[in-house]
Order: sequence, then C-alpha cells, then structure tokens
Amino acid sequence: MRRYEATREIMNAIGDELVVCNIGHPSQEIFKLRDRPENFYMFGSMGLSSSIGLGVAMAQDRMVVALDGDGSVAMNMGTLATIGLVRPKNYMLVIIDNQSYGSTGFQRSFTADNLRLEEVARGSGVESVVAVHRETEIAPTVTRLLKEDGPHVLVVKCEPGMPDGIGVIPIDGMEVRNRFMAAAKPG
Amino acid sequence: MSTLPAVTSNNPAEQLYERVRSHGIDFFVSVPCSLLGEVIEILEGDTEVTYTPVTREEEGIGVLAGAYLAGRRPAIVMQNSGYGNIVNAVCSLVNYYSIPIVMLVSHRGSAGERIEAQVPMGDAVQGVMEASGVKCVPIAHPSDLDGVDEGIEWALAEEKSIAFLFPFSFWQDAETYVPEHR
Ligand SMILES: [Mg+2]
Repeated sequence: MRRYEATREIMNAIGDELVVCNIGHPSQEIFKLRDRPENFYMFGSMGLSSSIGLGVAMAQDRMVVALDGDGSVAMNMGTLATIGLVRPKNYMLVIIDNQSYGSTGFQRSFTADNLRLEEVARGSGVESVVAVHRETEIAPTVTRLLKEDGPHVLVVKCEPGMPDGIGVIPIDGMEVRNRFMAAAKPG
Repeated sequence: MSTLPAVTSNNPAEQLYERVRSHGIDFFVSVPCSLLGEVIEILEGDTEVTYTPVTREEEGIGVLAGAYLAGRRPAIVMQNSGYGNIVNAVCSLVNYYSIPIVMLVSHRGSAGERIEAQVPMGDAVQGVMEASGVKCVPIAHPSDLDGVDEGIEWALAEEKSIAFLFPFSFWQDAETYVPEHR
C-alpha cells in the first residue's frame, strides 16, 4: 500500500467532515480521488496542515480531519504539543507515514529511522492514538474514530511511491479558499 | 461584539486589548514576551474568545488561518523575533489565500533595550514585514492607538494581514524600564 491507496481508503470513509489536505502530491491525489468543497488544499506552507486543521476545529463544531505526512509533521512537531494541550473533540489528525518526503522525490524521512510520531502524540497528551498497517483496517478505523470524541491521531504506515499521471489541481487558491469557507459556514 | 467596558484604563495592555476586541477579533494565539505578559494574562481571562498558546509562531499562523477559513477573526500576540519564524507561512499561506491576521508584536531591540542580541532583529523586523507583504504600523505610545482601529478596519476590509509594532515606549518610559526576565 502506498499513500494513494491509503488516501483512497480514508476519503471513502469520510462523510461530511471538513478536510485539510497536505501540500504537494497528497493534495493532488485527494483532488483526483474525491474533490469536494469541504477539502482545503494547502498549496504552500509545508508543515502547517495539522495546524490549519486545528484552527478550523477550534473555530467551529463540525468534525475536522487534517491529512498530513511524516515529513511535514516532523517539520512542525510542536503541533502535537498544541493538539495535546487544546484537545479538541472534533479533530482528527491522519499522518500518512511513508517514511519519506514524497513530494520532493521520496528522500528518506526521520520515521525511516528512529522517529515514532505515534509515541510523540501520546507523549503530548493525545489519548486516542492509533497506528494501522493494513489497507483493510483503514476505512473501519476512520469510521469508528469519527464517531468518538477526539482528538484522534491516526498513523497509517505505508510504502513510498505513487501512481503516474495524478496531475495538478486545476483550480486556484482563492477558489479553494472561497468554496471551503462557504462549506464551513455554520448553519 | 465585545462586552468589555469602554476604554477607561491607563494601562497600555488593557487599552490595546480593548481596542482589538472592539473590532470583533475573537480568536487568539500567543508566544510569550516579557513586554506582552499583561496582554496574555488578560487574554487568558477572557472567556469570550478562543485562545491557545502555541509552541512557535509559524504553527500559530497555521492555526489562525484555519480559524479565518471557519469564519473567525484571528490575531497573534508575539515578539518581533517571532516574525522571523513565520515569513514563509505569511507568503505562501496568509498572503496567497488572502487571510487577514492581526499581529500584535512587541518590538524588542527598540530604544530602551538592554539585551544586545535583540537589536539586530529589532532593526530588521520592519523591513522583513514589508518585504513579505505585511503592512507594519508602529504604535509608539498609547495615545497612538487610533492607528490600531484604522489598521484593523483596513485589514478586515482588504483581507490582508497587518502588524502593529509596540516598542518599549508604548509599554512604559524607556528610560526607566528594567526587564525582569528575557
Ligand atoms: Mg511522507
């Protein structure tokens, strides 16, 4: 299983939740798999997907899923400390851990060696931390966690690599922003 | 929006906070600075705003961008050194998606500074803000706080971020200031 297959399982299990998508290929894959106004595609600011998701969760009551990567979370590891401090019930951080910096050419990341982000999450005060290794576990786990109070940190372990021909996102930042803001509006 | 009393205080921190809240700013993050201690204390006690400390200013910008996307009016409270930690997030997130964030920035390295190492970033910060597309408004004294009103109205109308710089002179007489801690 690569990130693409893992993401497909996650997006299939998502209902009407607001989703913040990580920079680069992850956002492109999500756009191809299941584009919707409730998806915010982060085109810059590597490392901040989990933080943007946390802000959306703190600002309103709907469930928020932040999709992030191992390299990105390592770049902004303080985010786990803040999630463990704020502990929003309506927040799930999914870390797709392919032990590599996928969007820059699959260079080895810190989780290829000693870093265990699930342990950092637990050590930051997040109680609901789950790691899954098999593709068939992903959708049932996401479905179950979305019904329970968060915050949740779900680490999905997968292989490096991605399919050919994913393609770029054809809509620009302001359109992504405006339709997300409309979708996130209460009522 | 705010239920805080009209401005009656002579305390610069209280005056500043009341001005900011009067524009409906309702979502805050902070990173500490000795000059901002009182503002952060007031913030912690205000049950009508959403607030969290953050580990680093860049993370805070991400949180605030999310808050704006969900319909809130966000602000960060930080030291000017923190601006150095957010430049990429300002350019590729805040400016790119046109997100107005109010930045309340203590200006270390301004006249009255006793710690030499604060001076280089203190001298650089305005230029760094302008180069990264954030309007910078120095507020030298509490009597200049009208600049905060004008600035926030502009930022919200234009959907652009704005930084207010508060040097030692804003908080108290620079000549008599002796920092208790860094
Ligand atoms: Mg990765």
